[in-house]
Amino acid sequence: MKLGVLSADRPLVWMLPLIAMLVAFTIIPLFYNIWLSFHEYAPFKRRLEFVGWENWRLLFSDVRMWEALWTTMFYFGVVLTVELVLGMAIALLLDAEEFGFGVLRTVLTMTLVVPPAIVGMMFLLIEDPEFGVLTFVLDSLGILDKSTPILATGSTALWGVMLADIWQWTPFMVLIFLAGLRSLPPEPYEAAMLDGASPVMTFRRITLPLMSKVIAVAVLIRGIDVFRMFDYVFVMTSGGPGTSTYTLSLYSWQQTFSFIKWGYGATLSLFTLVIILVIANLFIWLAKVRW
Amino acid sequence: MIVQSRSSRIIRTVVGWTVVAIFAFPLYYWLTVAFKEGNEIFNWPPKVWSFSPTVKNFEEVFGISLGFDFGTKQEVLPGGGDFRMGPRLWDSIVIAVFSTALAVSIATLAGYALSRMNFRGRHHFVAWVLSTRMMPPVAVAIPVFFIYKDIALLDTYTGVILIHALMNLPLAVLLMKSFFDDIPKEIDESALVDGASRWLIFRRIVLPMVKGGMSATAVLCFIFSWTEFLFVLTLTQTGLKTVPVVSSTFVTSTGTAWGNMAALGAAAMIPAFIFIMLVQKHLVRGLTLGSVKQ
Repeated sequence: MKLGVLSADRPLVWMLPLIAMLVAFTIIPLFYNIWLSFHEYAPFKRRLEFVGWENWRLLFSDVRMWEALWTTMFYFGVVLTVELVLGMAIALLLDAEEFGFGVLRTVLTMTLVVPPAIVGMMFLLIEDPEFGVLTFVLDSLGILDKSTPILATGSTALWGVMLADIWQWTPFMVLIFLAGLRSLPPEPYEAAMLDGASPVMTFRRITLPLMSKVIAVAVLIRGIDVFRMFDYVFVMTSGGPGTSTYTLSLYSWQQTFSFIKWGYGATLSLFTLVIILVIANLFIWLAKVRW
Repeated sequence: MIVQSRSSRIIRTVVGWTVVAIFAFPLYYWLTVAFKEGNEIFNWPPKVWSFSPTVKNFEEVFGISLGFDFGTKQEVLPGGGDFRMGPRLWDSIVIAVFSTALAVSIATLAGYALSRMNFRGRHHFVAWVLSTRMMPPVAVAIPVFFIYKDIALLDTYTGVILIHALMNLPLAVLLMKSFFDDIPKEIDESALVDGASRWLIFRRIVLPMVKGGMSATAVLCFIFSWTEFLFVLTLTQTGLKTVPVVSSTFVTSTGTAWGNMAALGAAAMIPAFIFIMLVQKHLVRGLTLGSVKQ
């Protein structure tokens, strides 16, 4: 059989458009970014100048970068843990056919399709110091005084942002875990019941191990998005008050587009990329996630 | 199934409803703001149940633009203050529709090859596609901004459509691959033995079988384009803006137009809600890039 260059029997022909897109929009920009990280914009000369390793040296000595890295890590740890635990709890709760539970599962999917920027606005409104509902609730319960604005106080601002993330994406975990719970085989549970195992024991010894693949995939996908989070902080706090809510993504974006430090911004974004790739691939390897 | 007592079932029902009510509350409250006059939005204590509804906000955002000619391009006024959102909705629709069509077409072809054909490095290829999903948007947006500036794609539909298609490709490719994997390979193989060409098998036999999967993929791509923020923020200036980005310009120095913003936000959620309902069957598979099947 003769194979033409564009024969449909060649796998490459089928994947050519995909490869073209990936090269044009990931490989080329990646090299451009690396090139950019060795340059810096000189405002008075109005052009890019070669600066060697200067941006990379700056990166590791920049206190704000370390703060942003810490904020990103802290946000990542808290948000991912809360969404995982809360998501599993709610999935276990809703995994039954009680009155209206089908409707409830549908309602939960709604948070996923709201643009994150608009979710940021929603929580900006809810956490407003003058007329926010959450401010009112916390004030009435005596947890947080009205005179302490949630998003304008250094110690609470990041928690205010986390709340938006947790609200929007806990249902993501719930839906995935519910699908996982429903595909579990009934036999181990029947055996556990005959043995008189407690619900906690059944969950730890049967549900968790059987769900491990589903949990790993959900954590991986959510983890990637949490780490590179940008929308909520950009809309809700722009990194403030002070530098308390700067994430790596926001910091590199602002350095590039607000402070015209094109080279340093590119360096920061590359650094973010490297950290994500390392963490994600390490996780894929350790948790043996397969596609 | 574990037999439960009546009281524990009642507790479970009540707790379930309460938890979901807490999650639904921000959406409900946002909706009330869309129907409130300014002074009722700024009330302390906040008005949650009783307020006099008005459609003024919707009229301001859409009323003027109802008779608006969607064909002509209208510039985004800097600094906000312009609440006519017809053109911005149009921008969102154009970008979401075309980027979805592009992503799904590319992904269907690639997904077929990745599912059906054996070739060296297939595993590495899947890993490459997956690693594209890991790239932080800033690390793409910064270089693409400068490249677009050089090739005059900045602030154009084409530029945003291409980047949104790229953003959705890992999801679309892996998802389409998983839908192709569902169809037994024997169908292709027997047709090949009968002398049919690959392309004919794809067009006449396999493609009709993955229609459902393709529409599920399309819906997810549409939603992710519809809700995307960073790329549009970075790669557009005055020519076009999508709804999420233009919403953030409602925060002006003279105060935030909460009512208008809520009206626009509420309206922008409707198409996404409808679409997601249509593909509920495949939702979890889509959210997990094809790896968890319902």
